[in-house]
Amino acid sequence: MSVRSELIVAASPPARRTASHASWADRQSVFSWLMMAPPLLFLGALVGYPFCYGILLSLQDRPVAHPGTFVGLKNFAANFNDPIFWRVALNTFVYTGAATLLKMVGGLALALAMNQRFPLKNLVRALLLLPFIVPTVLSTVAWMWILDPAFSVLNWVLVLVGVPKPGPSWLGNPILAMVSIIVINTWRGLPFYGITLLAGLQTVPPELYEAATIDGASGWQRFRYVTLPLLQPIILIVTLFSVIFTFADFQLVYVLTHGGPQNATQLFATYAFDIAMGAGQLGLGASVALTMLPALALLIVALTIYLRRG
Amino acid sequence: MRAISRRGFLELAGVGATTAVIGPLHASAASKSLTVLHESSFIPPFDEYIKTTLAEAYEKETGVKVVYEVTAVGSLPTRISTIAETDTGADITMNGLLQVIQFGEKYLDVTDLCKEIGDKNGGWYDAGREAVLVDGEWKAVPFCNIGQLMNWRTDWFAEVGVKTFPQTWEELYEVGKKLKANDHPFGFELGHGFGDNHGWLYPLLWSYGGAEVASDGKTVVIDSNETARAVDFARKFFRDTMFEDVLGWTDVSNNKAWMAEQISCTNNAESILWFAKKNFPEIAKVTDQAQNPAGPRGRFHLLDSISHSIFNFSPVKEEAVAFMRWLMDPKQLGGWYAVADSYYQPLLHGYDNAPMWQVEPRNIPYRDAMTTAHLPGWPAPASRQMAESVAKYIVVDMFAKACAGASTKDVIKNAELQLKEIYRAV
Repeated sequence: MSVRSELIVAASPPARRTASHASWADRQSVFSWLMMAPPLLFLGALVGYPFCYGILLSLQDRPVAHPGTFVGLKNFAANFNDPIFWRVALNTFVYTGAATLLKMVGGLALALAMNQRFPLKNLVRALLLLPFIVPTVLSTVAWMWILDPAFSVLNWVLVLVGVPKPGPSWLGNPILAMVSIIVINTWRGLPFYGITLLAGLQTVPPELYEAATIDGASGWQRFRYVTLPLLQPIILIVTLFSVIFTFADFQLVYVLTHGGPQNATQLFATYAFDIAMGAGQLGLGASVALTMLPALALLIVALTIYLRRG
Repeated sequence: MRAISRRGFLELAGVGATTAVIGPLHASAASKSLTVLHESSFIPPFDEYIKTTLAEAYEKETGVKVVYEVTAVGSLPTRISTIAETDTGADITMNGLLQVIQFGEKYLDVTDLCKEIGDKNGGWYDAGREAVLVDGEWKAVPFCNIGQLMNWRTDWFAEVGVKTFPQTWEELYEVGKKLKANDHPFGFELGHGFGDNHGWLYPLLWSYGGAEVASDGKTVVIDSNETARAVDFARKFFRDTMFEDVLGWTDVSNNKAWMAEQISCTNNAESILWFAKKNFPEIAKVTDQAQNPAGPRGRFHLLDSISHSIFNFSPVKEEAVAFMRWLMDPKQLGGWYAVADSYYQPLLHGYDNAPMWQVEPRNIPYRDAMTTAHLPGWPAPASRQMAESVAKYIVVDMFAKACAGASTKDVIKNAELQLKEIYRAV
């Protein structure tokens, strides 16, 4: 802005108002709130409102496209009497627990391996992210073929090593179906753990390892008393994310088994979806989905306390 | 590059957001059009025909643009739910299975239009009425049934001396035992798919005299000797003619197994033959189709109908009614049916001898099956409770658990417990 234009701006009364408005908007406190407002509104509209609306729905008999009737906790009572609901609850805890544990152990091992020096290290690190990058639906379809009895490369190998034809029924047997979805979830989530923990490993000062070595610490002791304590905050964060994502997993099960066989792989998210969208019972579906909340909150609090104490 | 001030940034963001909101609204008001929501067809030329030929012809004739919006298989209930909940979106929608009863209050009463169409086209099948009638009103215009029938390998059946498809479930079982011994097992879906499971399990239950709920739509009657006999049959049918994997099958599985020449008999729509003819002609040559076998109480099929409804909140209701009247005229409708051979079986008697049935005579059983086709839950009238039962796979899992080893008594008791919970408030 030239000197002349500044003078003109300063001389006119409306411009003074604009100038004072400008200085108001430029104040640190005002500006920070103005910048915070869009994400807050976004969160309120896309997370806060649906959450509150979900609670309201769960307290109603609310068939789709019909006005709701307040029924209090009747939907939750109906879930309590529904044998599928208890099966779903058990499935979800087993699925989340097993997959999270496998991802944690496997991810740590992966990070330790990736932290070593070897040829084409950067390329290997980039390739490791593939399972995480590929859209879940796409990778699940690939797994569908891998586990298919007619085309399964897995069964082909097993039959070659002597397992009787046609090999295990990965998606037809209730136990193997659960094992299959746990393995696929682990395969998909492992890179997230691995890369995040690798980033953590690279922040550990080498002097600590040198000092521990001088003090006579073995490899295991260096890992147990140096690496692990320093990685703990990152493990906590990654585990929290993983528990949340795994507990609410939907796509994998919906595409691969749709909760079958006989609800052996039905999870809270898929069951809530079937009831809300398939049966059109929005209230009942919301009550199933909300059941995840206290369980998830308890899990997260317990994990936080445990890891912090450790 | 000129630096932008904080105030300038905020103003720019405000203007941008306002334009983004107002712009499309202004644009959408410019021309008159109606949107038809449809699930993606397994027969691609079917969607192409309406998108291009029919929509263009209608626009030329009336000036009304028809937008044919395709949604993925399985996602239709979600799309209709969103539209019905927000009172905005499409003007006409396709319905599958039990969607007319679920969304009926949001649909226009088209009784008069349906009477007019029926009178002009030889009358409706009873199944057409069953599919769309809600409290005495036609809430949709029936379009077709997508029958679920028996698909069988003529060459492998011939190897065990069978030239025509068995007439009863017991006869089919005897053939299946021999074929499994010959390494040609049957493959009937017992998992959580959308239709191929219900397609044979409800008819099996009915053919033994079993039912979930009585015709009053309230009394749960699943716990009966008839149901027990159907369950016992399903268990031995699975054990002696199939393999474990069918317990986890979804709708795509039997199609894959068929094309891989893994199974000798299944229950599917006509699409299995259509696909084989296009991509596996050698398999198509030895594929035939037949009505479901009969049980002690007769022969039954699943009514897996498609119908079209007009949303009662549509701003172009009259145009939508006019379009449906035009679409259901034989001049348009005949061509649309024909493009998919007979995958979509008309629910109007006027098409009983249409040339489309001569294109592939092996499809004729799909036409004949419509007289014995019913919605899931029959003889009870369609209801929201029935939709919940279907969504929870109660009948499918009753049979599947028995096949996996549970006792007949336990699986029926379990199904009864769930059904009573669903029907508690009725």
